[in-house]
Amino acid sequence: MNIVVCVRQVPEVTDAELEINKEGTEILREDLEMDINEWDNYAVEEAVRIKEAHGGKLTVITLGDEDSEDVLRTSLAMGADEAILINEEGFELSDAAGIAQGIYRAVRDLSFDLLLTGVQCSDDGWAQVGLILAEFLGLPYASLVVGIEINEGTMTVRRELESNTEEKLQIPMPAVLTIQTGINSPRYVSIMGIQKVRKIEIRETNSGELGLSEEEIGLKGSSVASQKLSLPPVGEGAEILEGSLDEICEKTAQIVRDKGVI
Amino acid sequence: MTPSRTSYWLIQHVWVFYLLAALAVGVFLFGLVIHVSVWIKGIRRQKIPFSWRGISNLFLDGVFGRRIFKGDIAAGTMHILILWGFLGLFMGTVLISVDYWLFHFLSGSVYIWYSTCLEVVGLMLMIGIVWSLIRRYLQRVPRLERCIEDFTVVILLFAVALSGFVVEGIRLAVQRPEWAKWSFAGHWVSLLFTQPQGAQSIYPYLWWVHALLSLGLVAYIPFCKLFHILAAPVSIYLENQPLQAIPVETRSPNDEVFSYRDMIFLDACTRCGRCVEVCPSTGAGEPFSPRDFIVWARNNLLMKHHPLNHITWFKDWINHRYKKEQGFEPQKIWHCTTCRACLDVCPVYVATLDSIRQARSKLVEEGTQVPPLLTQSLKNLYKYNNPWEATKKKRAQWSGDLEIPDISQSEKAEGLCYFVGCTTSMDIRAQELARSFALILKHARVPFSTLGKKEPCCGDIARRVGEDGLFEKQMEDCIELFQRYEIHDIVTSSPHCFHTFRNEYPAFQALKPPEEQVEFRVRHFTQLLRELVASGSLKFEMPLNVKVTYHDPCYLGRHNQVFDDPRDVITAIPGVQMMEMAHNRADSLCCGGGGDRIWQEDLDADVKMSEIRIREAEDTGAEILITACPLCLIMLEDARKTTGLEDSLRVMDLNEFVVMALDLHKRTGLE
Repeated sequence: MNIVVCVRQVPEVTDAELEINKEGTEILREDLEMDINEWDNYAVEEAVRIKEAHGGKLTVITLGDEDSEDVLRTSLAMGADEAILINEEGFELSDAAGIAQGIYRAVRDLSFDLLLTGVQCSDDGWAQVGLILAEFLGLPYASLVVGIEINEGTMTVRRELESNTEEKLQIPMPAVLTIQTGINSPRYVSIMGIQKVRKIEIRETNSGELGLSEEEIGLKGSSVASQKLSLPPVGEGAEILEGSLDEICEKTAQIVRDKGVI
Repeated sequence: MTPSRTSYWLIQHVWVFYLLAALAVGVFLFGLVIHVSVWIKGIRRQKIPFSWRGISNLFLDGVFGRRIFKGDIAAGTMHILILWGFLGLFMGTVLISVDYWLFHFLSGSVYIWYSTCLEVVGLMLMIGIVWSLIRRYLQRVPRLERCIEDFTVVILLFAVALSGFVVEGIRLAVQRPEWAKWSFAGHWVSLLFTQPQGAQSIYPYLWWVHALLSLGLVAYIPFCKLFHILAAPVSIYLENQPLQAIPVETRSPNDEVFSYRDMIFLDACTRCGRCVEVCPSTGAGEPFSPRDFIVWARNNLLMKHHPLNHITWFKDWINHRYKKEQGFEPQKIWHCTTCRACLDVCPVYVATLDSIRQARSKLVEEGTQVPPLLTQSLKNLYKYNNPWEATKKKRAQWSGDLEIPDISQSEKAEGLCYFVGCTTSMDIRAQELARSFALILKHARVPFSTLGKKEPCCGDIARRVGEDGLFEKQMEDCIELFQRYEIHDIVTSSPHCFHTFRNEYPAFQALKPPEEQVEFRVRHFTQLLRELVASGSLKFEMPLNVKVTYHDPCYLGRHNQVFDDPRDVITAIPGVQMMEMAHNRADSLCCGGGGDRIWQEDLDADVKMSEIRIREAEDTGAEILITACPLCLIMLEDARKTTGLEDSLRVMDLNEFVVMALDLHKRTGLE
C-alpha cells in the first residue's frame, strides 16, 4: 500500500503581527515562523498510521523554495520514507489549478494507492488543490475526510459535513482524499527524531525537469489573479465596561443574553 | 573440656551438603548474572572513581541505616535488627568455615564469646522479623504492600533462624556441656528436650532442614527483594558520583533509555513505599506512584534483557508473568512533577525522577504518547523559544516604563545579568516578580542588565520532559550569548533556570575542550536578596504587622538546598510573623507545576496539588503566602481563587513582598 502526501510550508500566524508589502501583493514573511500546514500535518500522521498498519511506502512531496525542506524533514521524522522537493519559487502567485498542475507533473509517474492532501492551506486557503489534482490524475476523490478504513482494494471514508453530520462513503483505490483536522492527533516530532532522518536524501526536482513551461507557472499560468491584499480594518463595537466588579459582571451577562448566545 | 563445637556432629553423607551448597551458590550466581546482564545494557554514563564519601555513605547508610531511621525510627530499628542479625549470622558462618577449613581458633573463651554473639544476633534477627510482620500485617502501615514476596522473604529468614536455634538446642540437650548457659538462647531451647535419647534421634533430620532452608535462602536472594543486599550498597556508593552527560548526537537508536546506574538503582528498591507517602501526585489521588514506576521499569528491563530470552517458552512465560501484574502504562510518566521528594526519602537513593526523565526522552522521540497539550507546548517552545507562544518582541515588554539596560545593545555585560526567564517575562502574574526585582535592584543600586529581546529559553522545559535535542540547542544558544557578551554573573527569577544553569549545563560543558568552556556564577534572586540584606544595601525600617508563611519551591529547596536565604529575608523585615506550614523546607509539597505539568492538560486527580498546598497555607493562619518561583506563584494564585480563599489569603512573590516592605511603589512612583 503506497501513499503519497502533499505537504506545504506556511507561516505561523496565530500570534504574529502581520504586515503587507507596499504593493499589497504579499505578506512580509521575514519575521514569521514557518511550520508545516496544520491540515497537512494531520494528513501525514494519517498516512503514517495507515502505513504502520498495512505496510508499504510513504512519499511526501512539497512545492516551494529550499526552506521547504524543513516540512519534508518533519514528515520524514514522523515516518515517511521518501521526500520530493519541487524547488521552484515561481509558484508564489499561482492559483489552485496552477499549484495542482505543478504537483501533478511530479506525482503522475509515481505508483500509489492513496494520495492525501490537507483540506486547505492556512495561507492561501484555496481548499481546491487536492481536488483539482485528483481531476488531473483522473482519480476518484473525497474532501473533508475525518476517518479512513482500508478494505481490500477499497476504502470506507467518513466526511465531515455541516451541523455535526457525517457522510460515510465507499471509494475505490487509488484515490485522492483531502484530510480534515481532528482526524487523529499528530505525533510530536522531536529534534532527536529530525536528527535521525537527516541522512535520508531528499529528491529535488524543478519545473524544467517536470516539463513545465513559464506560461504554466505563476500568474501567467493562472486563471485567477490576486489583485490586492489588505489587513482587515479595525472594527467597531469594542466597549470597555466600567463600574464595580458586580456591575461589570451584570453588564457582561446582559450583553451575552442580548446577543442571543444563551 | 575446652569449649568448642563439633562440625557435622551426627551428620552422615556430608558430601550431599556440599553438593547442595554448590547448587545453591550456582543458582545465586545465575541470579546475579541475570541482573548484571541487564545492567550492562544500560548507557554508561559515568566512570566509577574511588570516593571516600562513597565509602563513608556505604557505612552510614548501608551498615548503620542512616536513611532508614530518617523520619521513621520504628522502621529504622526494625531494619537494623534484621540487618545486623543477618550480617552477624553471615559472619558467624564465615568464621566457623575458617575454623573448620583453615585453622582452628574457635575454642575456649573465644568460642564462648563467638557463641554468645551468635545468640544475640540470631535473636535480633528474629525479633526484627516478628516486628516487620506486625508492621505489615497487624499494624498495616499504609505505605507497605502485601505481595507474596513480602511474606515469603521474611518467613524464610525467620525459619532459618528458628531452625538454627532448635538444632543448637537439641545439640546442647544431648551434649550438656558446662558452657551451655553462655549459648543462652540455645540453652533455653534445650530445656524443652527432657529426653536426650529422643532428641538425638531427630537431630539429623532437623539439621538437614536447617541446612536446606539456609541454602534455599542463599539461592533465593537474587530473585526477590533481598537482592537489595547486593544492589543497595552499589547504589549508595554511586549516589554521589557526578553524572556524565550523554549528548543526543552520541546516542544510538538501539540504546537502552536507562543508564546502568539507573538500573542498579531500580534493582535496589525494596518497595518500602516511602516515596509513595511523599509523592505529591499520589497524594492528590492521581494514578501514579514512584514505586509503581520502579516496578514497571524493572520488569520491563527484565522482559527485554533476560539472558534466557532467546528461549521462546521462557520469554512467553516471563512476559505473561510480568504483564499480569502490570499496574502501570507508559503514559503515566507524565504525572511526575520531578519534585524530588521521593529521592529525598529513599533509603537507597533510587533517583526515580532521573529514570522518568530518561523514559520520557524515549516517548518524546517516538512522539505518539506525548499528551496533546504538551505536544503543543513543545512545538511552541521550538518555534518561539518559549512555551507561551509569544514573539520575541513580547519578551522585553514586562519592564513597562521601568528602564532596564539591555546587554544586547552594548558590547559586553557590565556586572550582573538578570536572566528573566520565559514565564516571568510573559505571564501577566509572574511579570510582577520581574518588575519588583528590578525595582529592588535599582533601589539597592546594584548595576544590572538583561538580555532583552535576545533572551532565549534556558532549556529547562525541554530537559524536564526529555526533549534533549531541543534542550541542547537552547543551551548552546544561551552559552553563545554568555560568550558574546562576556556574561559571568547571572541571577535568575526562576529556580528552574537556576537549577538548569547550575546543575545541567556543567556536565555538557565538561565535554568541550577547556578553551571553549564558559565559566559563570549563577544565583537565584533569593540568594542575592539575602546578600543585599546582609550587606545593608536593603534596610527594612517600616514594620509590617503581618503573618506570613513561605512555600519552598522544589527546584530551589530540595534540588538546590536553598532553604534559609528566603526565610532570612522575610524575617529581616520588622513586625513580620513567620509561620511554617506542616510541610516545609526539604519536606515541602510541590505546587503541581513542576516537570512541565504547568504546560500539560490537567490529569486525573481527586484534588489539585496546588489546592492541597494552599489549604496548608490557610491552616497556618497566615495572611500572605510567599513563594520564590514564577510557576509556584501562578499555580498557587490559581488555587487561591478556586478554593475561595481570595479574601483571606494573598499569594505573593518574595520580591513583591520586599517591595511592599520597602514601600518602593510609592517611593519610586513606578508600578
